[in-house]
Amino acid sequence: MARRSNNKTNHPPAVTPRERWLALFAGERTDRIPTDYWATDEVTRRLFRDLGCTTIEELYSALHIDGIIPVEPPRTLAHFPGDPQADLWGLRRTSIDYGGGVYEEFANHPLAHMTCIEELDGYAWPSADDHDYEAYRAMLSQVPAHRLVRSCSFEPYLLYCALRGLELAMMDLIAEPEFAMAALKRIFDYHYDLAERTFAIGKGRVDVTYVAEDLGGQTALLMSLPQIRKFFLPNQKKMADLARSFGIHVFYHTDGAVRNVIPDLLNVTGIELLNPIQWRCPGMDREGLVRDFGSKVIFHGAMDNQQTLPFGSAADVHQEVLDNIEIFRSARWVCAPCHNLQPVTSTEKIVTMYDTIHKYGIQ
Amino acid sequence: MADLQKLYDAILNGNFKAAREVTQQALSEGIDPSALVHDTMIPAMNEVGRRYEANEYFVPELLIAARAMKASLELIRPLLAEKGTEPVGRVVIGTVQGDLHDIGKNLVAAMLEGAGFEVVDLGVDVSPEKFVAAAREKNASIVALSALLTTTMHAMKAVVENLNTAGLHGKVKIIIGGAPVTQKYADEIGADGYSSNANAAVALARKLLAA
Repeated sequence: MARRSNNKTNHPPAVTPRERWLALFAGERTDRIPTDYWATDEVTRRLFRDLGCTTIEELYSALHIDGIIPVEPPRTLAHFPGDPQADLWGLRRTSIDYGGGVYEEFANHPLAHMTCIEELDGYAWPSADDHDYEAYRAMLSQVPAHRLVRSCSFEPYLLYCALRGLELAMMDLIAEPEFAMAALKRIFDYHYDLAERTFAIGKGRVDVTYVAEDLGGQTALLMSLPQIRKFFLPNQKKMADLARSFGIHVFYHTDGAVRNVIPDLLNVTGIELLNPIQWRCPGMDREGLVRDFGSKVIFHGAMDNQQTLPFGSAADVHQEVLDNIEIFRSARWVCAPCHNLQPVTSTEKIVTMYDTIHKYGIQ
Repeated sequence: MADLQKLYDAILNGNFKAAREVTQQALSEGIDPSALVHDTMIPAMNEVGRRYEANEYFVPELLIAARAMKASLELIRPLLAEKGTEPVGRVVIGTVQGDLHDIGKNLVAAMLEGAGFEVVDLGVDVSPEKFVAAAREKNASIVALSALLTTTMHAMKAVVENLNTAGLHGKVKIIIGGAPVTQKYADEIGADGYSSNANAAVALARKLLAA
């Protein structure tokens, strides 16, 4: 793969990536279709090597990516009290080598043994005090002005599944609803407090916040709509309302076949952007989504990461970008992979995706 | 006298305590354990599967129904073994090498058990050699492979190749599933079937054994 010019010496384009994003959120027509980047560390390192880049900013410039810069208040606690191997939630991780790379899985489920709500009170839940907000302020000031900034991630049930174990966490929604609700409230309280302090510092510079919950499987919702409405949406709405009160936009992620919950996400949570649009899943056909929700939400992703990107050809990737341009023409779309690019996707195909949208995505 | 409708309802509603109690009572009254499985438990799990396919049940409902079914089966299984009752088929199941994700595999295993199959669950991160050894040792009729990741699904191909090399494929049918897996991929690697969900996996297993 030839090294690419990364525009290090060029002036920023007339419309900056941040301006492009903000225009998109404002419902305006953008000069070109925005792009975003999600990838594993292995892929990023490979792209650096193959494209001759040394920083993420150089990579974004080389591939014309309107990438978002995540900035979070650093933690002041090195680990969970009494467990040097665990993070602030008490979760340990183990690295799994699958041959072509490594991914992390949770190695313990510290709430798995609990049988009553009182036991939750004895757990060392993290506090928003355990973060360095002055360091965060300094980090924010370092972000290039042309980049969109994202702060705070709220995905409480994912965390609950890690703390409790996936199967128990799923069964709790029916078998132990009060326990699940009590644990989710503790997780929410931490995130809300953290976000309130973070947004107060970042007001005017933080552009988006990340709200998420994986509600969909490959063929249908993972849990029922009543369960989603009971356990997840009220707290999501509070987080989204908090962000909005600081002028911060809501980026929403849920994998899978989630067609049936989109009206609730729009009307209750109040999402502005939906990621990742796994259009091969039942109910997620792009034309139908544009028809039913195209005027209300930004579609983010839609570059299939289960078949086209990993196993298709570069020509297939090129064609999918062109298809998406056409299908999303009447809507707002951000070209990005459906979740993290994996090492099985070649540099050639990744470059093809970004080159194609750069060439044909002018509006 | 044990009310078997209560056992049916307990499985359907995922009440494992009730499932265990009714099963215990039924067995103490001398009800044939095999009849309990075939006349009550399998129909209950069939209905669970139907509701899942119809989007009336979701993963939490499947999991608690499977837990109730297993609570009942734990009491019945030793009695079936004593009588030498043969299962519908023997399935060796696992998540392939390099992949630690198991909820999909566990759901398939539970639905197969609920349909009267004997299931040997090898767990996660299972090497091709382990699949072959277990298939041979357990005299399996089906080997079921699961993978969640695009980066690990190719380990399925190695299992198929190893079963071919061992001369077991044919006698043993191979079925595969998992988020990125497709029928096309099953055809490419020479697996005998693909299923997109746990309930359909049961129908697939039955179909392959009947063929």
